[in-house]
Amino acid sequence: MRGSSFGYLIRVGIRSVFRNRLMSFAAIGVLIACLMLIGMAGLLSLNVNSIIGYLEDQNEIIVFVEDGTDQQGLENLDLDLHSVDNIIEVVLVTKEETLENYKQRLGEDGELLDYFDSDIPFPDAYQVRVDDLARLDDTIATISGLENVLKVNAPTDIASTIVSIRQAVYIGGAGIVIILAVVALIIIANTIKITVFNRRKEINIMKFVGATDTFIRLPFIVEGMMLGLIAATLAFFIVWGGYEYFISWMIGSQSSLFAMFYDQMIPFVDIALWMFGAFAGAGVFIGVGGSMIFVRKYLKV
Amino acid sequence: MINFTDVKKVYPSGTHALNGITMHISKGEFVFIVGASGAGKSTLIKMLLREEVPSSGLVEVNGINLNKMKRRQIPYFRRSLGVVFQDFRLIPTMSVYENVAFALRVTNVSGRDIKRRVPYILNLVGLVHKARAMPEQLSGGEQQRVALARALVNNPSLIIADEPTGNIDPELSFEIVDLLSEINRVGTTVVMVTHEHDLVAQFQRRVITIEAGRVLSDTAAMEVF
Repeated sequence: MRGSSFGYLIRVGIRSVFRNRLMSFAAIGVLIACLMLIGMAGLLSLNVNSIIGYLEDQNEIIVFVEDGTDQQGLENLDLDLHSVDNIIEVVLVTKEETLENYKQRLGEDGELLDYFDSDIPFPDAYQVRVDDLARLDDTIATISGLENVLKVNAPTDIASTIVSIRQAVYIGGAGIVIILAVVALIIIANTIKITVFNRRKEINIMKFVGATDTFIRLPFIVEGMMLGLIAATLAFFIVWGGYEYFISWMIGSQSSLFAMFYDQMIPFVDIALWMFGAFAGAGVFIGVGGSMIFVRKYLKV
Repeated sequence: MINFTDVKKVYPSGTHALNGITMHISKGEFVFIVGASGAGKSTLIKMLLREEVPSSGLVEVNGINLNKMKRRQIPYFRRSLGVVFQDFRLIPTMSVYENVAFALRVTNVSGRDIKRRVPYILNLVGLVHKARAMPEQLSGGEQQRVALARALVNNPSLIIADEPTGNIDPELSFEIVDLLSEINRVGTTVVMVTHEHDLVAQFQRRVITIEAGRVLSDTAAMEVF
Protein backbone atom coordinates (compact mmCIF):
# COMPACT_ATOMS: atom_id res chain seq x y z
CA MET A 1 0.00 0.00 0.00
CA ARG A 2 1.17 3.47 -0.88
CA GLY A 3 2.35 5.71 1.97
CA SER A 4 -0.05 8.51 1.07
CA SER A 5 -3.00 6.07 1.07
CA PHE A 6 -1.93 4.78 4.46
CA GLY A 7 -1.80 8.32 5.82
CA TYR A 8 -5.21 8.99 4.31
CA LEU A 9 -6.72 5.93 5.97
CA ILE A 10 -5.28 6.89 9.35
CA ARG A 11 -6.75 10.39 8.96
CA VAL A 12 -10.16 8.98 8.00
CA GLY A 13 -10.11 6.72 11.06
CA ILE A 14 -9.19 9.55 13.43
CA ARG A 15 -11.71 11.92 11.86
CA SER A 16 -14.41 9.31 12.33
CA VAL A 17 -13.82 9.31 16.09
CA PHE A 18 -14.65 13.02 16.15
CA ARG A 19 -17.44 12.82 13.59
CA ASN A 20 -19.28 10.24 15.68
CA ARG A 21 -18.71 12.34 18.78
CA LEU A 22 -21.64 11.05 20.78
CA MET A 23 -20.93 7.39 20.12
CA SER A 24 -17.24 7.88 20.72
CA PHE A 25 -17.94 9.77 23.92
CA ALA A 26 -20.25 7.04 25.19
CA ALA A 27 -17.82 4.28 24.26
CA ILE A 28 -14.85 6.05 25.80
CA GLY A 29 -16.85 6.81 28.95
CA VAL A 30 -17.96 3.25 29.51
CA LEU A 31 -14.55 1.94 28.60
CA ILE A 32 -12.91 4.27 31.10
CA ALA A 33 -15.28 3.02 33.79
CA CYS A 34 -14.42 -0.59 32.95
CA LEU A 35 -10.71 0.03 32.78
CA MET A 36 -10.82 1.97 36.07
CA LEU A 37 -12.57 -0.91 37.80
CA ILE A 38 -10.13 -3.35 36.26
CA GLY A 39 -7.26 -1.15 37.38
CA MET A 40 -8.65 -0.83 40.91
CA ALA A 41 -9.27 -4.56 41.17
CA GLY A 42 -5.75 -5.16 39.95
CA LEU A 43 -4.24 -2.66 42.39
CA LEU A 44 -6.26 -4.05 45.27
CA SER A 45 -5.16 -7.61 44.66
CA LEU A 46 -1.55 -6.59 44.07
CA ASN A 47 -1.50 -4.68 47.35
CA VAL A 48 -3.29 -7.34 49.36
CA ASN A 49 -0.76 -9.76 47.94
CA SER A 50 2.07 -7.50 48.97
CA ILE A 51 0.67 -7.09 52.50
CA ILE A 52 0.11 -10.81 52.82
CA GLY A 53 3.63 -11.40 51.57
CA TYR A 54 4.80 -9.08 54.32
CA LEU A 55 2.76 -10.93 56.94
CA GLU A 56 4.09 -14.16 55.56
CA ASP A 57 7.63 -12.91 56.02
CA GLN A 58 6.85 -12.30 59.68
CA ASN A 59 6.22 -15.99 60.22
CA GLU A 60 8.60 -17.65 62.56
CA ILE A 61 8.98 -21.29 63.39
CA ILE A 62 10.89 -22.17 66.51
CA VAL A 63 12.67 -25.51 66.40
CA PHE A 64 13.67 -26.61 69.90
CA VAL A 65 16.71 -28.81 70.12
CA GLU A 66 16.82 -31.84 72.41
CA ASP A 67 18.73 -31.30 75.59
CA GLY A 68 22.24 -32.62 75.63
CA THR A 69 22.84 -32.27 71.90
CA ASP A 70 26.56 -31.61 71.40
CA GLN A 71 28.17 -29.13 69.05
CA GLN A 72 28.43 -31.71 66.28
CA GLY A 73 24.71 -32.53 66.63
CA LEU A 74 23.85 -28.82 66.36
CA GLU A 75 25.94 -28.42 63.25
CA ASN A 76 24.29 -31.45 61.68
CA LEU A 77 20.82 -30.10 62.48
CA ASP A 78 21.82 -26.73 61.03
CA LEU A 79 22.80 -28.44 57.77
CA ASP A 80 19.63 -30.53 57.77
CA LEU A 81 17.45 -27.44 58.23
CA HIS A 82 19.20 -25.63 55.40
CA SER A 83 18.54 -28.57 53.12
CA VAL A 84 14.74 -28.36 53.60
CA ASP A 85 13.63 -26.59 50.41
CA ASN A 86 10.88 -24.40 51.84
CA ILE A 87 13.18 -22.87 54.49
CA ILE A 88 14.77 -19.57 53.60
CA GLU A 89 16.42 -18.55 56.86
CA VAL A 90 17.89 -20.45 59.80
CA VAL A 91 19.15 -18.65 62.89
CA LEU A 92 20.57 -20.45 65.91
CA VAL A 93 19.47 -19.09 69.28
CA THR A 94 21.55 -20.73 71.98
CA LYS A 95 20.19 -21.33 75.44
CA GLU A 96 22.55 -18.63 76.75
CA GLU A 97 21.05 -16.12 74.35
CA THR A 98 17.55 -17.13 75.37
CA LEU A 99 18.40 -16.60 79.00
CA GLU A 100 19.90 -13.23 78.19
CA ASN A 101 16.73 -12.26 76.32
CA TYR A 102 14.57 -13.13 79.32
CA LYS A 103 16.84 -11.18 81.63
CA GLN A 104 16.56 -8.13 79.45
CA ARG A 105 12.83 -8.46 79.29
CA LEU A 106 12.59 -8.52 83.07
CA GLY A 107 14.75 -5.42 83.37
CA GLU A 108 16.00 -4.88 86.91
CA ASP A 109 14.30 -8.04 88.06
CA GLY A 110 16.44 -9.93 85.57
CA GLU A 111 18.94 -10.48 88.35
CA LEU A 112 16.56 -13.08 89.63
CA LEU A 113 17.55 -15.30 86.71
CA ASP A 114 21.23 -15.18 87.58
CA TYR A 115 20.47 -18.27 89.59
CA PHE A 116 20.14 -20.28 86.36
CA ASP A 117 23.47 -19.23 84.90
CA SER A 118 25.09 -22.56 85.63
CA ASP A 119 22.15 -24.73 84.63
CA ILE A 120 20.00 -23.06 81.97
CA PRO A 121 16.47 -24.49 81.83
CA PHE A 122 15.91 -23.49 78.17
CA PRO A 123 16.78 -25.65 75.22
CA ASP A 124 18.85 -24.44 72.29
CA ALA A 125 16.60 -23.42 69.42
CA TYR A 126 16.56 -22.46 65.75
CA GLN A 127 14.45 -19.64 64.40
CA VAL A 128 13.35 -20.72 60.95
CA ARG A 129 11.48 -18.76 58.29
CA VAL A 130 9.64 -20.50 55.49
CA ASP A 131 9.02 -19.30 51.96
CA ASP A 132 5.58 -20.66 51.18
CA LEU A 133 3.09 -20.72 54.01
CA ALA A 134 0.80 -23.03 52.09
CA ARG A 135 3.34 -25.79 52.57
CA LEU A 136 3.84 -25.03 56.25
CA ASP A 137 2.34 -28.29 57.51
CA ASP A 138 4.62 -30.41 55.32
CA THR A 139 7.62 -28.38 56.36
CA ILE A 140 6.78 -28.82 60.05
CA ALA A 141 6.45 -32.55 59.53
CA THR A 142 9.84 -32.67 57.81
CA ILE A 143 11.49 -30.67 60.57
CA SER A 144 9.91 -32.81 63.28
CA GLY A 145 11.45 -35.85 61.66
CA LEU A 146 15.00 -34.47 61.84
CA GLU A 147 17.48 -35.80 64.37
CA ASN A 148 17.82 -33.99 67.73
CA VAL A 149 14.58 -32.04 67.26
CA LEU A 150 12.64 -31.76 70.50
CA LYS A 151 9.61 -29.79 69.38
CA VAL A 152 8.45 -27.45 66.63
CA ASN A 153 6.40 -24.36 67.42
CA ALA A 154 4.66 -22.79 64.44
CA PRO A 155 1.78 -20.33 63.86
CA THR A 156 -0.28 -22.83 61.85
CA ASP A 157 -3.63 -21.08 62.44
CA ILE A 158 -2.41 -17.72 61.17
CA ALA A 159 -0.72 -19.43 58.27
CA SER A 160 -3.86 -21.15 57.08
CA THR A 161 -5.84 -17.89 57.38
CA ILE A 162 -3.27 -16.01 55.33
CA VAL A 163 -3.22 -18.69 52.69
CA SER A 164 -6.98 -18.64 52.28
CA ILE A 165 -7.10 -14.83 52.16
CA ARG A 166 -4.49 -14.87 49.43
CA GLN A 167 -6.44 -17.42 47.43
CA ALA A 168 -9.66 -15.45 47.79
CA VAL A 169 -8.01 -12.23 46.68
CA TYR A 170 -6.34 -13.93 43.76
CA ILE A 171 -9.48 -15.65 42.49
CA GLY A 172 -11.73 -12.65 43.20
CA GLY A 173 -9.35 -10.20 41.55
CA ALA A 174 -8.87 -12.36 38.49
CA GLY A 175 -12.63 -12.93 38.24
CA ILE A 176 -13.41 -9.20 38.36
CA VAL A 177 -10.75 -8.41 35.79
CA ILE A 178 -12.00 -11.08 33.40
CA ILE A 179 -15.67 -10.06 33.70
CA LEU A 180 -14.92 -6.38 33.18
CA ALA A 181 -12.60 -7.12 30.28
CA VAL A 182 -15.41 -9.00 28.56
CA VAL A 183 -17.83 -6.12 29.22
CA ALA A 184 -15.34 -3.62 27.78
CA LEU A 185 -14.86 -5.82 24.74
CA ILE A 186 -18.57 -6.02 24.07
CA ILE A 187 -18.98 -2.25 24.40
CA ILE A 188 -16.19 -1.38 21.99
CA ALA A 189 -17.32 -4.04 19.56
CA ASN A 190 -20.84 -2.57 19.70
CA THR A 191 -19.61 0.96 19.05
CA ILE A 192 -17.73 -0.26 16.03
CA LYS A 193 -20.79 -2.19 14.95
CA ILE A 194 -22.85 1.01 15.04
CA THR A 195 -20.16 2.98 13.24
CA VAL A 196 -19.98 0.29 10.59
CA PHE A 197 -23.76 0.29 10.29
CA ASN A 198 -23.82 4.09 9.92
CA ARG A 199 -21.24 3.86 7.21
CA ARG A 200 -22.56 0.81 5.39
CA LYS A 201 -23.37 2.98 2.35
CA GLU A 202 -19.84 4.24 2.29
CA ILE A 203 -18.53 0.69 2.52
CA ASN A 204 -20.87 -0.32 -0.29
CA ILE A 205 -19.59 2.52 -2.49
CA MET A 206 -16.01 1.60 -1.68
CA LYS A 207 -16.73 -1.93 -2.83
CA PHE A 208 -18.11 -0.70 -6.15
CA VAL A 209 -15.20 1.57 -6.94
CA GLY A 210 -12.83 -1.33 -6.32
CA ALA A 211 -11.44 -0.87 -2.81
CA THR A 212 -9.87 -3.98 -1.34
CA ASP A 213 -11.23 -5.41 1.90
CA THR A 214 -8.07 -4.48 3.77
CA PHE A 215 -8.41 -0.90 2.62
CA ILE A 216 -12.02 -0.73 3.79
CA ARG A 217 -11.20 -2.21 7.18
CA LEU A 218 -8.26 -0.06 8.09
CA PRO A 219 -10.13 3.13 9.08
CA PHE A 220 -12.38 1.10 11.38
CA ILE A 221 -9.38 -0.56 12.94
CA VAL A 222 -7.79 2.85 13.46
CA GLU A 223 -11.03 4.13 14.97
CA GLY A 224 -11.25 1.21 17.37
CA MET A 225 -7.62 1.69 18.30
CA MET A 226 -8.17 5.40 18.90
CA LEU A 227 -11.14 4.76 21.18
CA GLY A 228 -9.16 2.18 23.09
CA LEU A 229 -6.08 4.38 23.42
CA ILE A 230 -7.98 7.50 24.48
CA ALA A 231 -9.92 5.57 27.11
CA ALA A 232 -6.77 3.76 28.27
CA THR A 233 -4.86 7.03 28.70
CA LEU A 234 -7.64 8.77 30.61
CA ALA A 235 -8.36 5.73 32.79
CA PHE A 236 -4.66 5.37 33.52
CA PHE A 237 -4.32 8.91 34.85
CA ILE A 238 -7.57 8.74 36.80
CA VAL A 239 -6.48 5.51 38.50
CA TRP A 240 -3.06 6.99 39.16
CA GLY A 241 -4.52 10.10 40.74
CA GLY A 242 -6.98 8.09 42.80
CA TYR A 243 -4.28 5.76 44.03
CA GLU A 244 -1.95 8.57 45.08
CA TYR A 245 -4.85 10.27 46.84
CA PHE A 246 -5.67 7.06 48.69
CA ILE A 247 -2.08 6.60 49.82
CA SER A 248 -1.81 10.16 51.08
CA TRP A 249 -5.10 9.64 52.92
CA MET A 250 -3.58 6.53 54.50
CA ILE A 251 -0.57 8.49 55.67
CA GLY A 252 -2.80 11.17 57.11
CA SER A 253 -5.02 8.77 59.02
CA GLN A 254 -4.04 7.79 62.53
CA SER A 255 -4.90 4.12 62.19
CA SER A 256 -2.05 1.91 63.34
CA LEU A 257 -3.20 -0.78 60.92
CA PHE A 258 -2.67 1.58 57.96
CA ALA A 259 0.64 2.70 59.38
CA MET A 260 1.74 -0.90 59.51
CA PHE A 261 0.72 -1.59 55.92
CA TYR A 262 1.82 1.68 54.42
CA ASP A 263 5.32 0.43 53.72
CA GLN A 264 3.87 -2.55 51.93
CA MET A 265 1.83 -0.49 49.44
CA ILE A 266 3.18 -0.81 45.93
CA PRO A 267 4.31 2.57 44.54
CA PHE A 268 2.26 3.38 41.43
CA VAL A 269 5.32 4.11 39.30
CA ASP A 270 6.43 0.50 39.81
CA ILE A 271 3.42 -0.77 37.90
CA ALA A 272 2.58 2.30 35.80
CA LEU A 273 4.24 1.09 32.63
CA TRP A 274 2.82 -2.37 32.99
CA MET A 275 -0.68 -1.03 33.62
CA PHE A 276 -0.61 1.43 30.76
CA GLY A 277 0.68 -1.28 28.47
CA ALA A 278 -2.15 -3.60 29.52
CA PHE A 279 -4.79 -0.86 29.07
CA ALA A 280 -3.48 0.23 25.68
CA GLY A 281 -2.96 -3.35 24.55
CA ALA A 282 -6.51 -4.24 25.52
CA GLY A 283 -7.85 -1.17 23.69
CA VAL A 284 -5.97 -1.97 20.51
CA PHE A 285 -6.85 -5.64 20.66
CA ILE A 286 -10.54 -4.87 21.12
CA GLY A 287 -10.51 -2.25 18.38
CA VAL A 288 -8.88 -4.50 15.84
CA GLY A 289 -10.94 -7.55 16.81
CA GLY A 290 -14.24 -5.67 16.84
CA SER A 291 -13.74 -4.08 13.45
CA MET A 292 -12.59 -7.35 11.92
CA ILE A 293 -15.80 -9.04 12.99
CA PHE A 294 -18.35 -6.38 12.13
CA VAL A 295 -17.00 -4.95 8.89
CA ARG A 296 -16.91 -8.44 7.41
CA LYS A 297 -20.71 -8.51 7.29
CA TYR A 298 -20.83 -5.53 4.92
CA LEU A 299 -17.94 -6.69 2.80
CA LYS A 300 -19.94 -9.46 1.21
CA VAL A 301 -20.94 -7.47 -1.84
CA MET B 1 -16.65 -6.70 -24.22
CA ILE B 2 -19.63 -8.36 -22.55
CA ASN B 3 -20.70 -11.92 -23.23
CA PHE B 4 -23.67 -13.65 -21.61
CA THR B 5 -24.09 -17.28 -22.64
CA ASP B 6 -27.31 -18.96 -21.54
CA VAL B 7 -27.13 -17.30 -18.11
CA LYS B 8 -29.60 -18.56 -15.53
CA LYS B 9 -29.99 -17.38 -11.98
CA VAL B 10 -32.11 -18.97 -9.28
CA TYR B 11 -31.93 -17.25 -5.89
CA PRO B 12 -31.90 -19.35 -2.70
CA SER B 13 -35.50 -18.17 -2.13
CA GLY B 14 -36.47 -20.07 -5.29
CA THR B 15 -37.00 -16.99 -7.47
CA HIS B 16 -36.00 -17.55 -11.08
CA ALA B 17 -34.48 -14.16 -11.92
CA LEU B 18 -32.80 -15.03 -15.19
CA ASN B 19 -33.96 -17.86 -17.43
CA GLY B 20 -31.24 -18.22 -20.05
CA ILE B 21 -29.95 -14.86 -21.22
CA THR B 22 -27.61 -14.81 -24.19
CA MET B 23 -26.28 -11.48 -25.43
CA HIS B 24 -23.15 -9.93 -26.76
CA ILE B 25 -22.11 -6.30 -26.39
CA SER B 26 -19.05 -5.12 -28.32
CA LYS B 27 -16.46 -2.60 -27.28
CA GLY B 28 -17.56 0.98 -27.90
CA GLU B 29 -21.31 0.23 -28.02
CA PHE B 30 -24.06 2.17 -26.25
CA VAL B 31 -26.82 -0.21 -25.19
CA PHE B 32 -30.12 0.41 -23.43
CA ILE B 33 -31.45 -2.50 -21.43
CA VAL B 34 -35.17 -2.07 -20.84
CA GLY B 35 -37.86 -4.11 -19.18
CA ALA B 36 -40.58 -3.91 -16.55
CA SER B 37 -39.64 -4.16 -12.89
CA GLY B 38 -39.01 -7.76 -11.94
CA ALA B 39 -37.87 -8.62 -15.45
CA GLY B 40 -34.35 -9.39 -14.25
CA LYS B 41 -32.53 -6.13 -15.02
CA SER B 42 -31.11 -5.74 -11.52
CA THR B 43 -29.82 -9.30 -11.47
CA LEU B 44 -28.20 -8.67 -14.81
CA ILE B 45 -26.35 -5.63 -13.40
CA LYS B 46 -25.30 -7.64 -10.37
CA MET B 47 -23.78 -10.23 -12.67
CA LEU B 48 -21.83 -7.56 -14.53
CA LEU B 49 -20.44 -6.22 -11.25
CA ARG B 50 -19.67 -9.73 -10.03
CA GLU B 51 -21.99 -9.17 -7.07
CA GLU B 52 -23.75 -12.39 -8.04
CA VAL B 53 -22.59 -15.40 -9.98
CA PRO B 54 -24.91 -17.30 -12.34
CA SER B 55 -26.48 -20.60 -11.31
CA SER B 56 -25.55 -21.80 -14.78
CA GLY B 57 -24.20 -20.27 -17.93
CA LEU B 58 -21.22 -18.03 -18.56
CA VAL B 59 -20.61 -14.31 -17.90
CA GLU B 60 -17.56 -12.69 -19.50
CA VAL B 61 -16.56 -9.04 -19.15
CA ASN B 62 -13.42 -7.65 -20.80
CA GLY B 63 -12.50 -11.21 -21.72
CA ILE B 64 -12.52 -12.32 -18.08
CA ASN B 65 -14.68 -15.24 -17.01
CA LEU B 66 -16.45 -13.81 -13.96
CA ASN B 67 -17.66 -17.24 -12.81
CA LYS B 68 -14.10 -18.26 -12.08
CA MET B 69 -12.97 -15.00 -10.52
CA LYS B 70 -11.48 -15.30 -7.02
CA ARG B 71 -12.82 -13.08 -4.25
CA ARG B 72 -9.64 -11.12 -3.83
CA GLN B 73 -9.55 -10.34 -7.57
CA ILE B 74 -12.97 -8.68 -7.53
CA PRO B 75 -11.78 -5.21 -6.37
CA TYR B 76 -9.23 -5.06 -9.18
CA PHE B 77 -11.83 -6.11 -11.74
CA ARG B 78 -14.24 -3.42 -10.53
CA ARG B 79 -11.61 -0.73 -11.05
CA SER B 80 -12.05 -1.29 -14.79
CA LEU B 81 -15.76 -0.43 -14.48
CA GLY B 82 -17.64 2.77 -13.75
CA VAL B 83 -20.98 2.37 -12.03
CA VAL B 84 -23.83 4.85 -11.67
CA PHE B 85 -26.88 4.06 -9.55
CA GLN B 86 -30.40 5.41 -9.44
CA ASP B 87 -29.90 6.70 -5.89
CA PHE B 88 -26.54 8.40 -6.74
CA ARG B 89 -24.83 6.82 -3.71
CA LEU B 90 -22.77 9.86 -2.84
CA ILE B 91 -21.21 10.10 0.61
CA PRO B 92 -23.18 12.90 2.33
CA THR B 93 -20.33 13.93 4.63
CA MET B 94 -17.92 14.57 1.76
CA SER B 95 -17.75 17.48 -0.65
CA VAL B 96 -18.24 17.01 -4.39
CA TYR B 97 -14.49 17.04 -4.87
CA GLU B 98 -13.92 14.48 -2.12
CA ASN B 99 -16.65 12.19 -3.44
CA VAL B 100 -14.89 11.99 -6.77
CA ALA B 101 -11.39 11.85 -5.27
CA PHE B 102 -12.62 9.04 -3.01
CA ALA B 103 -12.80 6.61 -5.96
CA LEU B 104 -9.14 7.33 -6.68
CA ARG B 105 -8.01 7.22 -3.06
CA VAL B 106 -9.45 3.80 -2.43
CA THR B 107 -7.64 2.48 -5.47
CA ASN B 108 -4.22 3.67 -4.33
CA VAL B 109 -3.78 6.58 -6.73
CA SER B 110 -1.13 9.10 -5.68
CA GLY B 111 -2.14 12.48 -4.23
CA ARG B 112 -0.60 14.31 -7.17
CA ASP B 113 -2.62 12.34 -9.71
CA ILE B 114 -5.77 12.95 -7.69
CA LYS B 115 -5.20 16.72 -7.76
CA ARG B 116 -4.79 16.59 -11.51
CA ARG B 117 -7.54 14.16 -12.41
CA VAL B 118 -10.49 15.29 -10.25
CA PRO B 119 -10.80 18.89 -11.56
CA TYR B 120 -10.49 17.58 -15.10
CA ILE B 121 -13.38 15.15 -14.63
CA LEU B 122 -15.49 17.72 -12.76
CA ASN B 123 -14.99 20.06 -15.66
CA LEU B 124 -16.13 17.30 -18.02
CA VAL B 125 -19.48 16.96 -16.20
CA GLY B 126 -19.75 20.74 -15.83
CA LEU B 127 -19.49 20.91 -12.04
CA VAL B 128 -16.04 22.32 -11.44
CA HIS B 129 -17.59 25.42 -9.85
CA LYS B 130 -19.39 23.22 -7.29
CA ALA B 131 -16.33 21.27 -6.19
CA ARG B 132 -16.62 22.48 -2.61
CA ALA B 133 -20.38 22.01 -2.31
CA MET B 134 -21.86 19.18 -0.26
CA PRO B 135 -24.17 16.68 -2.02
CA GLU B 136 -27.27 17.94 -0.16
CA GLN B 137 -26.74 21.40 -1.67
CA LEU B 138 -27.06 20.00 -5.18
CA SER B 139 -30.07 19.18 -7.32
CA GLY B 140 -30.78 15.55 -8.28
CA GLY B 141 -29.34 16.09 -11.75
CA GLU B 142 -26.19 17.63 -10.32
CA GLN B 143 -25.79 14.82 -7.82
CA GLN B 144 -26.04 12.29 -10.61
CA ARG B 145 -23.39 14.18 -12.54
CA VAL B 146 -21.12 13.92 -9.51
CA ALA B 147 -21.80 10.18 -9.41
CA LEU B 148 -21.01 10.02 -13.10
CA ALA B 149 -17.77 11.93 -12.52
CA ARG B 150 -16.87 9.40 -9.83
CA ALA B 151 -17.60 6.56 -12.24
CA LEU B 152 -15.42 8.17 -14.92
CA VAL B 153 -12.48 9.25 -12.85
CA ASN B 154 -10.80 5.83 -12.98
CA ASN B 155 -10.91 5.90 -16.77
CA PRO B 156 -13.07 2.77 -17.07
CA SER B 157 -13.52 0.87 -20.31
CA LEU B 158 -17.14 0.13 -19.38
CA ILE B 159 -19.80 2.32 -17.75
CA ILE B 160 -22.77 0.58 -16.15
CA ALA B 161 -25.68 2.89 -15.42
CA ASP B 162 -28.52 1.38 -13.39
CA GLU B 163 -31.59 3.59 -13.90
CA PRO B 164 -29.44 6.72 -13.70
CA THR B 165 -32.39 8.98 -14.49
CA GLY B 166 -34.89 7.34 -12.16
CA ASN B 167 -34.72 10.10 -9.54
CA ILE B 168 -34.28 13.07 -11.84
CA ASP B 169 -36.63 15.49 -13.58
CA PRO B 170 -37.24 14.51 -17.21
CA GLU B 171 -35.48 17.53 -18.70
CA LEU B 172 -32.40 16.82 -16.61
CA SER B 173 -32.54 13.13 -17.52
CA PHE B 174 -31.82 14.11 -21.07
CA GLU B 175 -28.67 15.88 -19.92
CA ILE B 176 -27.38 12.79 -18.15
CA VAL B 177 -27.91 10.51 -21.13
CA ASP B 178 -26.38 13.15 -23.34
CA LEU B 179 -23.33 13.11 -21.11
CA LEU B 180 -23.20 9.31 -21.33
CA SER B 181 -23.35 9.63 -25.12
CA GLU B 182 -20.40 12.04 -25.04
CA ILE B 183 -18.43 9.53 -23.01
CA ASN B 184 -19.42 6.77 -25.41
CA ARG B 185 -18.24 8.86 -28.35
CA VAL B 186 -14.64 8.74 -27.08
CA GLY B 187 -14.73 4.94 -26.96
CA THR B 188 -16.14 3.93 -23.58
CA THR B 189 -18.73 1.16 -23.70
CA VAL B 190 -21.98 2.20 -21.99
CA VAL B 191 -24.69 -0.13 -20.70
CA MET B 192 -27.70 1.75 -19.37
CA VAL B 193 -30.64 0.09 -17.68
CA THR B 194 -33.83 2.12 -17.82
CA HIS B 195 -37.59 1.90 -18.17
CA GLU B 196 -38.07 5.39 -19.57
CA HIS B 197 -39.20 4.83 -23.11
CA ASP B 198 -39.03 8.53 -24.00
CA LEU B 199 -35.32 8.56 -23.47
CA VAL B 200 -34.80 5.33 -25.37
CA ALA B 201 -36.81 6.67 -28.28
CA GLN B 202 -34.97 9.99 -28.27
CA PHE B 203 -31.44 8.58 -28.37
CA GLN B 204 -31.89 5.88 -30.99
CA ARG B 205 -29.43 3.29 -29.72
CA ARG B 206 -29.34 -0.49 -29.54
CA VAL B 207 -32.10 -1.68 -27.22
CA ILE B 208 -32.20 -5.06 -25.48
CA THR B 209 -35.59 -5.79 -23.97
CA ILE B 210 -35.76 -8.23 -21.10
CA GLU B 211 -38.90 -9.93 -19.93
CA ALA B 212 -39.28 -12.68 -17.34
CA GLY B 213 -35.56 -13.31 -17.32
CA ARG B 214 -35.23 -13.72 -21.09
CA VAL B 215 -34.18 -11.49 -23.97
CA LEU B 216 -37.45 -10.53 -25.63
CA SER B 217 -35.98 -8.40 -28.39
CA ASP B 218 -32.65 -6.95 -29.44
CA THR B 219 -32.96 -4.07 -31.89
CA ALA B 220 -29.90 -2.53 -33.46
CA ALA B 221 -29.23 1.21 -33.31
CA MET B 222 -30.75 3.30 -36.03
CA GLU B 223 -28.41 5.71 -37.65
CA VAL B 224 -29.72 9.18 -36.87
CA PHE B 225 -26.77 11.29 -37.84
